[in-house]
Amino acid sequence: MTPASALPRDALPTRRNEAWRYSDLSRALADFALPPDAARGEEHVIARLAGGARAMAVEAGQAVTVVERLEGAGLLAQAQDIRLAPGARLTRVVFQTGGGVALSLARVRLGAGAHFRQIVLAEGASLARVETDVTIEGEHAEVELYGIYLAGTGRHADLTSRVLHEAPNGVTKQRIQGAARAGGRGVFQGKIVVARGAQKTDASQAHHGLLLEEGADISAKPELEIYADDVRCAHGNTAGALDEEALFYLRTRGVEEREARALLTEAFLLEAVPEDAEAEVKDEIAGRIAAWLRGGAS
Amino acid sequence: MLEIEALHVEVAGAEILRGLSLHVPAGEVHAIMGPNGAGKSTLAYALAGREGYDVTHGRATLEGADLLALTPEARAARGLFLSFQYPVEIPGLATLAFLRAALNAQRKARGEGEMSSPDFLKLARAKAAALKISPDMLKRPLNVGFSGGEKKRLEVLQMAVLEPRFAILDETDSGLDIDALRVVADGVNALRAPARAMLVITHYQRLLDYIRPDRVHVLAAGRIAHSGGPELALELERSGYDRYGLAPA
Repeated sequence: MTPASALPRDALPTRRNEAWRYSDLSRALADFALPPDAARGEEHVIARLAGGARAMAVEAGQAVTVVERLEGAGLLAQAQDIRLAPGARLTRVVFQTGGGVALSLARVRLGAGAHFRQIVLAEGASLARVETDVTIEGEHAEVELYGIYLAGTGRHADLTSRVLHEAPNGVTKQRIQGAARAGGRGVFQGKIVVARGAQKTDASQAHHGLLLEEGADISAKPELEIYADDVRCAHGNTAGALDEEALFYLRTRGVEEREARALLTEAFLLEAVPEDAEAEVKDEIAGRIAAWLRGGAS
Repeated sequence: MLEIEALHVEVAGAEILRGLSLHVPAGEVHAIMGPNGAGKSTLAYALAGREGYDVTHGRATLEGADLLALTPEARAARGLFLSFQYPVEIPGLATLAFLRAALNAQRKARGEGEMSSPDFLKLARAKAAALKISPDMLKRPLNVGFSGGEKKRLEVLQMAVLEPRFAILDETDSGLDIDALRVVADGVNALRAPARAMLVITHYQRLLDYIRPDRVHVLAAGRIAHSGGPELALELERSGYDRYGLAPA
C-alpha cells in the first residue's frame, strides 16, 4: 500500500505510485466529478466515495458467507474493515461486473485459528480494482484467496492483495487465474509478507494468465517478502496463450474453433475456484464466464 | 472411400511426405507400418488438418470431399476421426461434457438435432461399459491422470460414440500392456463395418494380431514403398525395415 505521505498532496494515485503502477486511477477518474476534498490518496478517496468505511466482525465460532456485488455503471467505490475473531470463519465472494470505475478495498484481520476464504470474479471496467489487505494476527490462522479476472476489450481488471503473516503457523493459499482479450488488461499484484516472528508459515501463491488474442495485456507483480527462517513458501506465475495441441485435439473431435477456445478457457479459469465452494457460487461463476466467452462480439 | 494422391507435406520447412498415394475402400482396414521418422504420424496429422503440416502438393479426399480444403472440425463432421498417439490432457474439462460437446457439434454441423442429455448419458455409459471404462472415469477431467491404457480406451470410446466413417489409429498400441491391447482391439473390431474404413498406423506387428488388416503398406522415406496382404506384417517383423531405406533426415 502506498503511504499517503508518498503521494503528492491533493493528487490521486497515478501509475507512478508503485502499487498503482498498472492501474491509472487518476486517468480513469478524469471523467467523473469527485467531491472537492476527495483527492487525498487512494484509501481516503475510496472511503470518501463510499460514504465512509464499513466495518464487519465475525465472532468466534461463527461461520459466515458474504456475497458482495460491485455492479452498475458510473463510479463505484467501497472500503471496509473486516475482523475475524479467533476461530471465526468467513467466506467472502465478490462479483465485480462492470461500471466506469469500480474500486473495492477490504482490510481483513484474522485472530488465532480464524479462516478467511475469498473468491473474486472481476469482469473489469474502464478501471476495476479489487484490493484485499490481510493481516494474520493470531497463530494457526488460514487465508485462501481465489480470484478470476476477465479483461474484455477496453476493460481493465485488477486484483491486488497483500497478506501479512505476523503470527506463526499461518497458512496462505492464493490462486488467481485470468484471461484478457485484445485491448483488455488484466492485472495481478500479490504480495505475501512473512514477518520475523511468523515461523512455520506455509504460503503458496499462483497466478496464471491467459492471453486470448494478440494485443491482450496481462501485468503481474508477484512478491514474497520473507523475514522468518523456518517457513514454506511456493509461488508460480505464468502468462501465455492457449495450448495449440489441446485446441487441435478438440477440433479433431468436431468442436468448432471458437467453441474449442471457449471450452479450454473455461476449464483453465475454473481451476481458480475451489472444488468445495458452495454450488450456487460455483454455478454463478461458471455461468458468468460462459456468458463472457460466448456472448456476442469480443 | 479415402483417396490420397501424390501427397507432399512439409513440417517446419522439411519435406516429410514425398508423394504418398493410398486408397482405402469402404469396409476395409489398412495398416501402415514403417520405421520411426518415416512420416507415419505426419500422414495422420496432415489428414486431420493440424497447423504446421503444410500440404505443398497432392490431394486427399474422403467420399469425394476434398479434405485439405476443410478445417479440422469440418473434417470430423465429414466423418474423419484421428485416435492420437498421445491423447492430450485437459485439466478442468470433464470427459463426459467434452464427449457430449463433440457429438453435438458434429450433429449440428451435419444438420442433425442435438442429442438430449438422458439419451447421451445412456449411449455413453453403454459404450463405456463395453470398453471397461468406469462411470467415475467419465467424470474426471479429460485424460488427466489416466494411465496409457485408459487414454487409449478413451480414444476408442470417442470413436464408438462419434461413429466416424473413417478412423485413423495412430500408434494405438503404444504404451499398452497385453490386456489393455485386447480391450482396445476388441473395441476397434466392434466398429468394423461395411460403410466404414480404418487406417491403423503402427510400428510393431503385435497390434495386427488383434486388429487383422486387409492390406499392409510400408511407409518409408515419405512414400508407400511396398504394399501387400496381412502376411506382409509378419514378414516385416522378421526382416525389419532396412531394405526400405532410411527415414529422411
